[in-house]
Amino acid sequence: MSDSSSDGGKWLDAHYDPVAGLYTFSSCVDLADLSGDGESRLVVGDLGSGLSGMKLKVYRGTALMSESTLLDLPAGLVAFFMDLHEPRIPAVAVASGPCIYVYKNLRPYFKFTLPGLEVNTLEQDVWQQAREGQIDPLTLKEMLESIRKKADISLSVRSLRFLSLDTSDMDEFVQLHKQQPVRRQTVITCIGTLKKSTADEDGVSCLVIGTESSNIYILDPEAFIILYKMSLPAAPTLMDVTGQFDVEFRITVACRNGNIYILRRESDKPKYCIELSSHPVGLVRVGKNVVVGCTDESLQGFTQKGKKLWRTVLPAPIITMATMDLPTRGFQAVLVGLANCEVQLYREKNLLSTIKTPDVVTSICFGRYGREDGTLIMTTKGGGLMVKILKRTAVFDDRDSAPGPPLAQSVRLNVPKKTKLYVDQTLRERENGLAMHRAFQMDLSRLRLAAAKAYVKALESSLTPMSSSLTEPLKMNAVVQGLGPSFKLTLNVQNTAACRPVMNLAISFLYDENLYRMKCSYMRIPLLVPGLVYPVETFVECTSDKGISDIIKVFILHEGKSSPLLTAHINMPVSEGVTLN
Amino acid sequence: MGLLDKLSGWLGLKKKEVNVLCLGLDNSGKTTIINQLKPANVSVFCPLSEEWKHVSQTQAQEIVPTIGFNIEKFKSSSLSFTVFDMSGQSRYRNLWEHYYKESHAVIFVIDSGDKLRMVVAKEELDTLLNHEDISSRKIPVLFFANKMDLRDAMSSVKVSQMLCLENIKDKPWHICASNAIEGEGLQEGLDWLQGNVSVQYIE
Repeated sequence: MSDSSSDGGKWLDAHYDPVAGLYTFSSCVDLADLSGDGESRLVVGDLGSGLSGMKLKVYRGTALMSESTLLDLPAGLVAFFMDLHEPRIPAVAVASGPCIYVYKNLRPYFKFTLPGLEVNTLEQDVWQQAREGQIDPLTLKEMLESIRKKADISLSVRSLRFLSLDTSDMDEFVQLHKQQPVRRQTVITCIGTLKKSTADEDGVSCLVIGTESSNIYILDPEAFIILYKMSLPAAPTLMDVTGQFDVEFRITVACRNGNIYILRRESDKPKYCIELSSHPVGLVRVGKNVVVGCTDESLQGFTQKGKKLWRTVLPAPIITMATMDLPTRGFQAVLVGLANCEVQLYREKNLLSTIKTPDVVTSICFGRYGREDGTLIMTTKGGGLMVKILKRTAVFDDRDSAPGPPLAQSVRLNVPKKTKLYVDQTLRERENGLAMHRAFQMDLSRLRLAAAKAYVKALESSLTPMSSSLTEPLKMNAVVQGLGPSFKLTLNVQNTAACRPVMNLAISFLYDENLYRMKCSYMRIPLLVPGLVYPVETFVECTSDKGISDIIKVFILHEGKSSPLLTAHINMPVSEGVTLN
Repeated sequence: MGLLDKLSGWLGLKKKEVNVLCLGLDNSGKTTIINQLKPANVSVFCPLSEEWKHVSQTQAQEIVPTIGFNIEKFKSSSLSFTVFDMSGQSRYRNLWEHYYKESHAVIFVIDSGDKLRMVVAKEELDTLLNHEDISSRKIPVLFFANKMDLRDAMSSVKVSQMLCLENIKDKPWHICASNAIEGEGLQEGLDWLQGNVSVQYIE
């Protein structure tokens, strides 16, 4: 198809409406057979502009089938079977604010409100006084401020709103609200479903809700009473539920403190905790494992007991995540919507395929839509709706496009077994670690001392042809060429100073005049530019024919100073010829 | 055509048998179409040969999703059709290609109301036409743009545009708007098929 180059031709572009006007997130999208005719519909909780235009929309095929207005911003939307009546038509639950609105046959059916929280008695008293007119709004404000600072139970939304008002608006606010009793209400942050007693596709499900007050509630699907309450250390943001309420279940929640908690049936406190290095932005389940997307552009896999399995780095920040589950082909993977207009498909840590999208994808939903099992539905930041269908012939190969370490790296090496000698040695090292360290340190000190001594000796005997003077740092090496009786003596002199030239230098030779003869035993050296090597050449003739050799001493002198800057001893080779006279 | 038909019928004494493959996505109406083409009355029917006795040759009352495939037989004025009514469910679509070789004609049924899955129909059609057993032969392909009774159904022209039928150059093809439940448009398609299969036979 047209985009076969980007995703390997695995998806068919069934529909794309860039101006569908759908503004939503993955938590507010679900697929369900709402009319019981075998064709799944797309149910979307549309957030509208965020202030108005919140709607519950239902799509059939490419067309919008129905829409109804929502009273508040939807926090989550799930379709679930609430009873066993025939035909088996699922209900839709929309969580917004402190309420869950249940729709059946797309008509409002039931409204469940979370139980109120405990209200601070002091706060109640203060409002009571305000109602009786004993205190004016300014005093009320002062008293509420003081309660806010020291009380354990935080203030109600009304008081907090009141505290944020300008002085001019306060009176009106108090007049408007003082008659109502003070209530403290929490809000729903996430919603999920949990099968009641059977794992069947159309089994009755309980609703599982996470609240801002750091609680998890499990609701009975028919009576809408709280069956189970669990508490968390922080407010939950993302949730995944698996199992059956009557048998065994597991609720995985990502919380606002950056941790992931795993709750189980037996206890009302988290059983396991995963501490992440950065905040989670996506949480999905693949088989028995949990895949978490983090703000540090990474995807991490964990077992259901919270053990980390793998981590992979993504090319861009994560926007949304969803599971891709295709039971007919036994295929499970994770779809990750990224900020760089890509949707990537990961199985474990391996990138299987990348879908390029014209806009940033904000919600992903994969499942049966219409009559097609492998349908991928995405909505974009600009409100577009995109439907792609997985080709019947599409095959996903592991590592087809994932650059990474070669396979050979994961092959286990045949490491030989530990010998007795190795074990004994390790044991000895463990027991005598201190003594061994001391012995090593002593030897190291000795070595340093020996080195220092040798250096001092070398300096004292001026063996190293290097000047230590600060004003004229010089280096010299000497080369003797020839077999004799005539030798060529080359002295390479270098000024090692950073930028200062050296002037007024001279070279003088000291030798046994019975053995050697030199044209001039005193030479002047030109100005030495730093860094350059100046070869100074002279000829030496050996006058003896007895086959003996001696040392020639070289001195570099500064004019007007008697002590040499540099001394070098040149061991002359034995002359192999005789002077012709 | 009519004269030739009559001649062949008179001379051969037996109608020519053609194998027709009925393909299309699930829920497009293949079984309903074939069911409509079968004779409605039991008394009209007479078995063509012994080995086809097990095949139901009368109209079914209720249509259920086909599992695997069904074999149906019916006669037109000059030909005796053996139709392989394949299941359109995606898990059975890989069976289609095993019957390409023996078929003399293909009926491809499209749900005109299902805009979303038109790409899937196109994909399956392209796979069919590019298959080695089909691409090399000049077999006639009849398209039924079915479910014309639906309010949001696309016209047959629109369907042929979406499937890019104009790109089929090496095979005779024809598209008919149909409503299988009422039987509208089916005879038109069958007449075309009869003519084209006959032409192929005479050649």
